[in-house]
Amino acid sequence: MNGDTVIASGPATTLGIRLHTWWRMLVICLEERLAYRTDFALGTLMRFLPIVTQIFLWTAVFAAADRSDIAGYSRDNIIAYYLLTMITRAFSSMPGLSSSIARSIRDGSVKKYLIQPVDYVGFLLAARVAHKLVYYVVAILPFGFVFFLCRNYFPPAPDGLTIAAYLLSLLLSFLLGFFLEATLGMIGFWFLEVSSIIFTYMLFQYLLSGHMFPLDMLAGVPTGLAGVSLADVVRWLPFQYTAYFPASVWLGKVQGWDLVGGLLLEVGWLAVAILACRLAWRRGTRRYSGFGG
Amino acid sequence: MNRYLTIFGTFARACLVRDMTFRANFLLECVTGLGWMSMNLAFYLLIFSFTPEIGRGSGWSREPFFAFVATGLVINSIVQAFFMPSASELAEMVRTGGLDAVLVKPLDAQFLLSLHRFNYSSLANGIVGLLLLGWAVPRFPAPPPPVAWLLYPLLVVCGVAILYGLIIMLAAATILMGRNQSLYDFWFYLTSFSRYPAEIYAGPWGGPLRMLCTFVIPILLVVNVPAGTIARPLSGEAWFMVAVTVVAAVLAVGLSRLVFQAALTRYRSASS
Amino acid sequence: MHNRSEEANDRVIEVEGLTKEYRVYDKPEGLWASVQGLFHRKSRTIAALQGVDLQVRRGEFLAMLGPNGAGKTTFLKLLSGIITPSRGAARVLGHVPWERNDDFRRRFALVMGQKNQLWWDLPAAESFRLHQEIYRIEPAHFARIRDDLVDMLDVGRLLGQPVRELSLGERMKLELVAALLHEPEVLFLDEPTIGLDVVAQHTIHEFLQTVQRQRAVTVILTTHYMKDVAALCERVVVVTRGSILYDGSLEQIVDRFTTHKVVTLDFESAPPVAQIERFGFPAEVRGPRVTLRIDRTRIAAVLPQLLADRQIRDVSVEDVPLEEIVAGLFRGAAAQQEPAAEPAGVP
Repeated sequence: MNGDTVIASGPATTLGIRLHTWWRMLVICLEERLAYRTDFALGTLMRFLPIVTQIFLWTAVFAAADRSDIAGYSRDNIIAYYLLTMITRAFSSMPGLSSSIARSIRDGSVKKYLIQPVDYVGFLLAARVAHKLVYYVVAILPFGFVFFLCRNYFPPAPDGLTIAAYLLSLLLSFLLGFFLEATLGMIGFWFLEVSSIIFTYMLFQYLLSGHMFPLDMLAGVPTGLAGVSLADVVRWLPFQYTAYFPASVWLGKVQGWDLVGGLLLEVGWLAVAILACRLAWRRGTRRYSGFGG
Repeated sequence: MNRYLTIFGTFARACLVRDMTFRANFLLECVTGLGWMSMNLAFYLLIFSFTPEIGRGSGWSREPFFAFVATGLVINSIVQAFFMPSASELAEMVRTGGLDAVLVKPLDAQFLLSLHRFNYSSLANGIVGLLLLGWAVPRFPAPPPPVAWLLYPLLVVCGVAILYGLIIMLAAATILMGRNQSLYDFWFYLTSFSRYPAEIYAGPWGGPLRMLCTFVIPILLVVNVPAGTIARPLSGEAWFMVAVTVVAAVLAVGLSRLVFQAALTRYRSASS
Repeated sequence: MHNRSEEANDRVIEVEGLTKEYRVYDKPEGLWASVQGLFHRKSRTIAALQGVDLQVRRGEFLAMLGPNGAGKTTFLKLLSGIITPSRGAARVLGHVPWERNDDFRRRFALVMGQKNQLWWDLPAAESFRLHQEIYRIEPAHFARIRDDLVDMLDVGRLLGQPVRELSLGERMKLELVAALLHEPEVLFLDEPTIGLDVVAQHTIHEFLQTVQRQRAVTVILTTHYMKDVAALCERVVVVTRGSILYDGSLEQIVDRFTTHKVVTLDFESAPPVAQIERFGFPAEVRGPRVTLRIDRTRIAAVLPQLLADRQIRDVSVEDVPLEEIVAGLFRGAAAQQEPAAEPAGVP
């Protein structure tokens, strides 16, 4: 209690300082990106190239199947779906997060966070927010351009409430993606070679997040349990929120109480991920310091 | 020349020793590659639960399509194992001055730069591709004619040659620009067009795109033509495409060499 | 290339008006400039080398001395054929280097300090074998030379380890062995002792001297260490800002560029400064020891006075240290030219 009076204005100044540092970080990140101008322009546009292939693929699939609806999606729906998952992934993907945490554990650079009164996870989160904001600023042009070109594939925009739910799910997917990968990285406290574990997670995520195809398509895949399809199982897992869920909200595939339920489950998984992360940090650092040095 | 073969052998041996020393890593890389591939195979199976073929009247029903995928696996694994590792190191070599060391040696620079490092774990996918081919071919609606089996290995080699030419041209660009856009990324985007049969590129946009990717940047020839010779009946048009592919392979290798040599003369060597 | 007349053969390296210019883009400062940088960037032309003329005869050991950014490395890269010049001509062993003729490349060697030419993952022994194949060295001959060189530098026990595990000094020794395996007629060394400890530097100096004497190799060594120069070479070329400032022997530098000698006086006790200044310009006062700069022409007159002064216990007269002369040369040249900031990444 008495120590706090040493700092003149207390929390307000520290917040001010933090914001200022943040701003500086952002500006530097932006400058860095703009320095590689051809890179950034081409790079962001190139991310959409696989979508072009998917558009043609699904058109061919629908043509040969001679139907206008697969698992509730028309061809235009599927294209809109892929584009929307690009947005979700712009929020939820955390490239290199788990491996960099694991690496800093392995080479010991995490130690400085153990002795400083700095919240390691909070610091990482702030850094990711900065990176993401920078990314959005530089990517908004290419994204906007592509979406404008593809506007005819989209159904009419949903109502305000759905949009609000959509934005909420995006925000939650950012946090969920972050905490899941952070926890993953902290496995490095127990196992030296985390790369196999990370790889397995990435594999499941690839298949079950809806990145490759809308998860509704799994409705026809049996699981061995009577009346339960793979789609039903996947709907209880957290992976869907990193690509599929927000996209399906926008497209109106999830409505009413299902939508509320989906959001609540997302919050639930987020809570689990945050708890797991905190627990892993506490247990892990305790174990780590036990090794001396 | 004989000398080049001996040197190639030394590199091959050294890389094998290295991979076997880091055995766990090697196995992990094999498993990783196989993992991604199986996810994609599962995806394709899912698609075929909704449709009998890809592209109406294209002939790419399930087993022929898997033969297509298998061919792609074989060709890409060869390229990933023997050419990509060296090429992706090029940016680093430019940065650290390793390219300088290559240029003072009395040996062809392109040979040294494109063939000094191999990644054997990439061959795992190729092996699975061969197995997949073995599964799919007997289940074809109609068996391929004997001549197709003569053409197939030739066309696989042509496919590899076309990809090699593209890699060399990208490498030349790296030398000129001297940096950082990861070769793997660009390669992934470029080859993502060739993951599916060319027939899917139809319509007002698709038609021209298909022409572009067949006759200008011939990535659609790489897998389509070899797979097409065994999976679909050999028509006059098919023979034409075989000829085009062979010509494209020769052009790719020849043209890329010219471009590469030109890049070397303009080399700035800005590594202090 | 076949031999021409005896005289032409004697001149192993001929350089005339060699110039190398680079276009460099200005890095934008600040956020607004970065955005502008997306559309338009300003560029300047930097001359790394300006109209250099040089002749080197067979068997000479020549040192190229200059500060960082002087153009020494650019010069060697041009002579090795790594880069092509903007203007000018050069011939090494009768070849134009940047044509990258295989016959030419087989007759010279380049060693760059702190840069690796050996293959990182292979043990040195494998690298040497690769060299044998690349340079087409006859096996028995190769074995003899290799053992000879390895003994000279005492690196036999390092041959089995992957190169990346060795220290800088050990790596440099192996690089030198590799460079000499094919018995080059010309050897280019770019800052070979940089980053090495004193013992390693000394070993390498001795090695280079022996080799050069034994095999009559023509050597150009670039460095910014006076030690390398003093130990190894008769002829020194001083380079600053892409031009040759001086080309001659080491002793002549002292005569050419200094007007003073350094006189060190040991007094009985700390002397008053006014008393000292009468003799010459005091450079340093440390207790009873004073160091002065005295004009050469006046030494003969001043010395008797000094020796007569009973307060002075000891006198020594020396030349200005080479390092100082050369540093002065560098600074002087820099002051003469425009103060342009050296952008990063220009050799």
